[in-house]
Amino acid sequence: MDRETLISKWLDNNLNDQGLEAFKKLEDYDDLIKLSESTKAFKANDYNTSAELNKVLSTIKNSKKETSFVKPWMRVAAILAICFGLYYYTTTLDTNISTQVAEKTNIELPDASTVTLNAKSHLAYNKNSWKNKRDVELEGEAFFKVAKGSTFNVITTSGTVTVYGTQFNVKQRDNYFEVICYEGLVGVTYNSKETKLKPGDSFLIIDGKSIAKEKETLPTPSWINNESQFKSLPYHEVLDEFERQYDVTFISENIDGEQLFTGKFTHDNIEIALKSITLPLRLTYSKTNNTITLKSEQ
Amino acid sequence: MENQLHKNICEERLFSSIFNKYSKDLHNFLYYKFGEMLNPKDKVQEAFVKLWENCAKVSPEKAKSFVFTTANNLMLNEAAHQKVVLKYQQTKPKAHTNESPEFLLREKEYMDKLQKALANLTDAQREAFMMNRVEGKRFKEIAAILDISTKAVEKRIYGALEKLRQDIKEL
Repeated sequence: MDRETLISKWLDNNLNDQGLEAFKKLEDYDDLIKLSESTKAFKANDYNTSAELNKVLSTIKNSKKETSFVKPWMRVAAILAICFGLYYYTTTLDTNISTQVAEKTNIELPDASTVTLNAKSHLAYNKNSWKNKRDVELEGEAFFKVAKGSTFNVITTSGTVTVYGTQFNVKQRDNYFEVICYEGLVGVTYNSKETKLKPGDSFLIIDGKSIAKEKETLPTPSWINNESQFKSLPYHEVLDEFERQYDVTFISENIDGEQLFTGKFTHDNIEIALKSITLPLRLTYSKTNNTITLKSEQ
Repeated sequence: MENQLHKNICEERLFSSIFNKYSKDLHNFLYYKFGEMLNPKDKVQEAFVKLWENCAKVSPEKAKSFVFTTANNLMLNEAAHQKVVLKYQQTKPKAHTNESPEFLLREKEYMDKLQKALANLTDAQREAFMMNRVEGKRFKEIAAILDISTKAVEKRIYGALEKLRQDIKEL
């Protein structure tokens, strides 16, 4: 074996007895051993593995890095959830329109149909589902001019009115449910029975009883022109309508609310209106603040 | 599924066993390569904290080379390639020594020369040579730590030895 092989084997602690003898006979054997032994003085500082491990583990636990890859996803998920929730909430939210006593309002629906809402009424519809479902919920009285298109439903607590592009009035007050068709064809579903109305036809239910009415001749309901018109209707209905238009309360003494009344009153002048509804029945009235007391002359 | 779970370094037990297995070798490797000035202990800490942060991405088989590469890079970022001077333990003179002051002086001279000679080695030579001579590691073990062939280790160590002897003679 040559010198280099011997030294290499020595370095690798790989010398057999024979090799060791040969290595010892090398002229620089002493130098090599001295160098090797002296090098050991340069040993690295003691390294305490378990102490260092504890340090690493405490660093890791303090920095709480283990959650670092979960948290960003949680944040993203939370933001998405909020956005989606907000979107869902706003798109499914119904549009609500209400009128107070003595107030009327015009509403344009998403398809250019128009609704005129009479006093003390409430209308709700959903803008976003309008394309698929033309449904409005109504409490009170409203006049509809419906643009041509898919089925248009007016849902009230008394019944549902279904139309296809027409003009009609719906009045739903307490025990009173009236639909008048002015143009086109209107279907009224009441107690799951459908009645078809042609122009001029009306459908009237008072206290659950169907009442026949003569043909309507006006092109629009009278209240659109700030008048309330009645044809053979119980007097208490007239008083209720009056209260809605003028924000007053009636106290009636010895008056028969069921007697039929034909006539009209204006929405613009309370004195004239009061005379219009009292003179024909020979009643007297006295007014204090918002309370009106009605008395029979007889 | 179970096998995969066990392979995740994020589990503290596995992480600790990897630390116990490699941290000392890593520390000594850094020490012999870069000296003490750059805090090899801190670099070992940093490298293992980085391993923990990436525990989901690094497989246990890759963990060793991950920490060695990371620590080495951390060192290189700081080392402005200054000369690496290793410290040696001074052999304390015994109270009643029969060694002559001359001998002690020569001994001190020799150690200083060796120190300079070690500083003159390349990083690659020094890390291999010191692991071999001081830590008593065999060529195969060093080859595994450095991810090089046994032949390359032998070449580095033998080269280091020759260079040291030449330097000591000349100095």
